[in-house]
Amino acid sequence: MKEIRKLGLILLVITAIAAAALGYVNMITKGPIAEQNRLADIAARKQVLPQAEDFEQLDIKSPGNYLIIKEIYKGLQGGKDIGYTIKTVPNGYGGPVEVMIGISSDGTIIGVNIGNHTETPGLGAKATDEAFKGQYTNKTADMNIKVIKSGTPSDDQISAIAGSTITSVAVTDGVNEAIKYFNENLR
Amino acid sequence: MIGGNEVKIWNTLQNGIIAENPVFIQLLGMCPTLAVSTSAINGIGMGLATTAVLLGSNVVISAVKKIIPDKIRIPAFIVIIATFVTIVGLVMKAFVPALDQALGLFIPLIVVNCIILGRAEAFASKNSVIQSLADGIGMGLGFTLALFVLGTIREIIGAGTIFGNLIFEGYQPALIMILPPGAFLLLGLLLALFNWISVKKARGESR
Amino acid sequence: MSVTGLFIILVSGILVNNFVMSKFLGICPFLGVSKQVETAAGMSMAVTFVLTLASIMTYIVQLILVRLGLEYLQTIAFILVIAALVQFVEMVVQKVSPTLYKALGVYLPLITTNCAVLGITIINIQYGYNIIETIVNAIGVAIGFGLAIILFAGIRERLEIADVPSVFKGFPIALITASLMSIAFLGFAGLV
Repeated sequence: MKEIRKLGLILLVITAIAAAALGYVNMITKGPIAEQNRLADIAARKQVLPQAEDFEQLDIKSPGNYLIIKEIYKGLQGGKDIGYTIKTVPNGYGGPVEVMIGISSDGTIIGVNIGNHTETPGLGAKATDEAFKGQYTNKTADMNIKVIKSGTPSDDQISAIAGSTITSVAVTDGVNEAIKYFNENLR
Repeated sequence: MIGGNEVKIWNTLQNGIIAENPVFIQLLGMCPTLAVSTSAINGIGMGLATTAVLLGSNVVISAVKKIIPDKIRIPAFIVIIATFVTIVGLVMKAFVPALDQALGLFIPLIVVNCIILGRAEAFASKNSVIQSLADGIGMGLGFTLALFVLGTIREIIGAGTIFGNLIFEGYQPALIMILPPGAFLLLGLLLALFNWISVKKARGESR
Repeated sequence: MSVTGLFIILVSGILVNNFVMSKFLGICPFLGVSKQVETAAGMSMAVTFVLTLASIMTYIVQLILVRLGLEYLQTIAFILVIAALVQFVEMVVQKVSPTLYKALGVYLPLITTNCAVLGITIINIQYGYNIIETIVNAIGVAIGFGLAIILFAGIRERLEIADVPSVFKGFPIALITASLMSIAFLGFAGLV
């Protein structure tokens, strides 16, 4: 019994030292990590709504109806609203995919960008290529976007990434959800 | 004896990189080896992150080896390793977020990389701090080298690029090399190649 | 969460996102304990057991960590939970069923360093699964692991007696076989 207590005590001391060391490192890195995340967020919003100089976060109205919408920001230029950025997280092939959509106040998609994702490199991960995500640019928010696997896409269609229909549909789901929210709450 | 000691350290270093390369010879740490070697830069990043953890854990474990009773040495080692992994993870998140994202889940999984616990058991718990340091650097660089080789070959064949730069115009990349089957295939072929080389060497020596 | 949703999690764990074949988790036991179908089956049973328990335990631990604002201790807390759990399971199985212990005993200590176990606990948290989804996912992944390792062991038993070029004997041919299996698993990609 005495031995067990001694062993337990030693293990406890080691764990305590480890926890203290981690607490210290966490204290040092907390600032830079938060800063990195903030910069990355701003950069991500700027990418889909480049004209905006400043962003203001909005509350999601009735979030129960828009399960995959995570964040909405209003983009401002010289104090005037010029559009919105909506972050959605639909499920792709390898897990959740962050899709950021920029919509101008008059209902045109300015840009779509892909954030954190775990899609297959070389297949689904091609969603981050301009060739795919650029297809959404300048589509209007008047309609739902559909994915086609072959042929030339019309105004309300985009071409799927070859071999990655699931990812293509997931990203499009995210965009359509943002369009729906925009039409129902922001227009 | 100083000269002898230096030779010993040098041997320990070399051992890890070539003679007992953790991936190609000992076949340890297969999960990250196969998973993150999709490009040269990912291979190097993962290799260096693992090296940092290995260095830290080897040094600390060899320094405290006399204090830790034999019965609880495995849980104690795991706590020490997990601490270094978390530190490396936090530092990467703070200063190289892009790499951290590319490696993702495999950063916390360095904890269960058999190389690290293996070196703690087989080397650091029996040798001096300096020797363990050399062993950590050697094994870490050996691991990095293996990941770099795999990553470079997979990136060239599978994406037609090296470090993200296009190498051949008009080359149609063989996507399969970046996908999981390519990782298994390439490692299998490389191991066969090393077998072939060592068989040839042995024959040459016996003649 | 609907039943369909749970079913999708289950199927994708077994086939589409098979841990061994497409996520490269649990490769060490996959290559190390797959020389015979019997041992592979023992290993996969032990893994199923620990994987499911560990998923439930870490789910609770994560709730505590979040409550205390100590998320950065996740890795260290999870690995300790898994190590303690493995030790505990080993002791219980030894007492309760010596037969089962004989079958699983040797594999249990190896599971602590099986990255599939730590991997799934972190993935459950990352995907924001609730407790039921967590359990279903754990079971799916465990079955997927068992499927891959038992199939692979079946092939390797035959490879042992096949006439393979000498430099390919052992690991090289095993890895190339794994590559072909993994191509087959890629075929499930469109399933979910």
